[in-house]
Amino acid sequence: MARPTAPVAVGRGPSLISQAGDGRDIALAARGWRLKDTPAAWLLIAPVIVLFTISVLYPLIETIRLSFFNIVGLAPPSFVGPANYINLFADPAFRNTLVTTLIFTLATTTISVGLGWTLAMLCAFAPQQTLPFRVMIFAAFGISEAVSGYMWIGILRPDTGGLLNTVIGLFSPGFAHPWLGDTNTALWAIIVAACWSGVGLPLMLCFAAVQSIPKSVLEAAYMDGARPFSIMRHIMVPLSLPGVRVAIFINLLGALRAFDIIYVLTGGGPVRSTETVGYFMYRESMTQFKLGYGAAATVVLLVAVLVISIPAIIQRTAGAR
Amino acid sequence: MTTIFNGPSVGRRLVLAAASLALMTGTAPLAFGQNLSGELVILNWQGGVDGEMWDVLEAAFTEANPGVTIRELEITAQGDARGGIRTALLGGETVDIIINTWPAFRAELMQAGILRPIEEQWASFGWDEQLSQSWRDLGSIDGVPYGLTYTYGDRSGIWYKTEHMEKAGIAAPPATWEEFLASFDALKAAGYQYPVAMPGKYWAHAEWFETLLLRTAGVEVAAQLAAHEIPWTDPAVKAALMKYAEMLNAGCCGDPAVMFANDWDGEADQIFQADAKNYLLIGMWMNARALGDYDLTEGEDYSFFQFPALGMGHDDTSSVDAKELNVTTNGANPEVADAFLDFIVSKTAADILADYGYASPSSEADTSKLGPVQQTATAAVASSKVQFVLGDLLPGDLGDEYRVQLQRFLQDPSESNIDTVLAAIEAKAASLY
Repeated sequence: MARPTAPVAVGRGPSLISQAGDGRDIALAARGWRLKDTPAAWLLIAPVIVLFTISVLYPLIETIRLSFFNIVGLAPPSFVGPANYINLFADPAFRNTLVTTLIFTLATTTISVGLGWTLAMLCAFAPQQTLPFRVMIFAAFGISEAVSGYMWIGILRPDTGGLLNTVIGLFSPGFAHPWLGDTNTALWAIIVAACWSGVGLPLMLCFAAVQSIPKSVLEAAYMDGARPFSIMRHIMVPLSLPGVRVAIFINLLGALRAFDIIYVLTGGGPVRSTETVGYFMYRESMTQFKLGYGAAATVVLLVAVLVISIPAIIQRTAGAR
Repeated sequence: MTTIFNGPSVGRRLVLAAASLALMTGTAPLAFGQNLSGELVILNWQGGVDGEMWDVLEAAFTEANPGVTIRELEITAQGDARGGIRTALLGGETVDIIINTWPAFRAELMQAGILRPIEEQWASFGWDEQLSQSWRDLGSIDGVPYGLTYTYGDRSGIWYKTEHMEKAGIAAPPATWEEFLASFDALKAAGYQYPVAMPGKYWAHAEWFETLLLRTAGVEVAAQLAAHEIPWTDPAVKAALMKYAEMLNAGCCGDPAVMFANDWDGEADQIFQADAKNYLLIGMWMNARALGDYDLTEGEDYSFFQFPALGMGHDDTSSVDAKELNVTTNGANPEVADAFLDFIVSKTAADILADYGYASPSSEADTSKLGPVQQTATAAVASSKVQFVLGDLLPGDLGDEYRVQLQRFLQDPSESNIDTVLAAIEAKAASLY
């Protein structure tokens, strides 16, 4: 199939490629390069490549390499091929973490994005008046998960001194539930804690998406007699979807990698009921110091992240061509 | 030597002075007899009151050795610090001394070529004068000492607040298992719903099983189990869990979910701050917390009794832990490291440990400096057959599974579930040994 010879990708503003002067250069420009610009281009992107190699590529390759070794404690490593992966999927504790991670990821993403989107819609009707409210919610997003975890320990304390038990105790005197100790409530308690700090970003992304809707569209709707609910349903909701998609993408990735808040609140317990893949990876790698096994879990998590990320990245960057 | 004595240019006084100096440096403790200098790096993972104690110990050493500076490589860890220590060492950190409390980790460090044996130092410093053979054995691998124990603790003692016992009309701490179980009713009648504080969040719920195993089956069986020379499904192990179940069925601890919500410190708060519970089986670091964090008076506001007698022929047993110092092969200052080891078993160090409520195994320790609780514990350990904490002797994977399965036992202490729990631990053990 013939490649296009016209400088289709060079039409937007000044660039090295768009300055191509002869036919040969134009053809190369269409392929992405012009010979005399190559050294300069490499020089310009070299820092990024070096940093990317050191901070991303090398650790990634090293993690994949480690996943094929049996490394326990400080003993010398031995090559075991795919055994770590085979053992991983045969390990009931790991299979349990897959289910827990799925529940945690879906629940936190649904609640955080759903709540953030709803709040964004409501805030859009009175942007100035709701500014302090939006700032307060977004501030929670800026708090580290470890810090918010310790705060939630105070809220979820098992005795009557916990804030949640105290509030419920106003209606039911003496009420005391061990939210983090009960296998039925521990994971949901963590999900609520994660959503508390996680709702700020979807709120801001969705709010920004709503704010970017052209005023003329909204004014036209008003002129045509549309009620606020109809405007929300038929204009604001569909036109804010790009912001929602970004929020879902970011939340999914964060939830898949969740570790800090689980470490602080439950340590994966009780009876491993809150152990996610991220926590399992930590436990195997750092507590048991089975680096090879932990690396295999990391690679599995990485694949899950890539499965979600790649379509989203392709979709988000397709327009850049 | 002969040529020196016969040499015409060497005066007799100089020879005598040199001989005296040689004699002194050969026999006096190096920590105080040499001009030591340089930086000593200690890998420390202890914080809180223990961290403060280490600051005081280090200050005392540098005061005696002004040429030495001490730098701590601090590892921050919640619970088990071994991961952090391994990361630091694999990451290229060079230290002279490692504070260690896990015998299995000592073996791992030794096998990795990180530890220096301290056999020669033991002889040259004369540590046999300060430490008995049993302490040497505790820090040895195949008869070669690698660890110098500087403190130890009773792990079979139960802490309580004296005011609670008085309120319940319990004149003396329960001496037998039957008295112990019977005391639950008295304490409940006094308004304490759940007498035993059971920290089931991480590992502390295993303490009860470990002492019950010693008291029902003895130290030999416990040692065999640690080495997997008997299976976890052995009737002796089941008998210990059945005893544990007696306590749960007597209403010691309430809902398992409440047990899983707290670690030992949270449960200690329930006794000493919230006045909601009564008994806590935990190590001697509880003493430092009671003194430092709760500001209680040892022996008056709170006290301690040794695990009640079961009458099964093994009531002279106790579970113990210990902390030791290991010296490294690649440390920059081995001479100072060795001198610090000598310092840690000195009277000065023992007195500092006592100030913080810790017992020293050194014969130079003045036990009268210890508070009444620590004296009770020290006497109990001295008169017991001891076994190191079981959880710290197990391979990491097994220790983890063991603690999770004991959580399952707390959820359902029935005999059939005990069989299920022990079978699960045995399955894990069989895959690891």
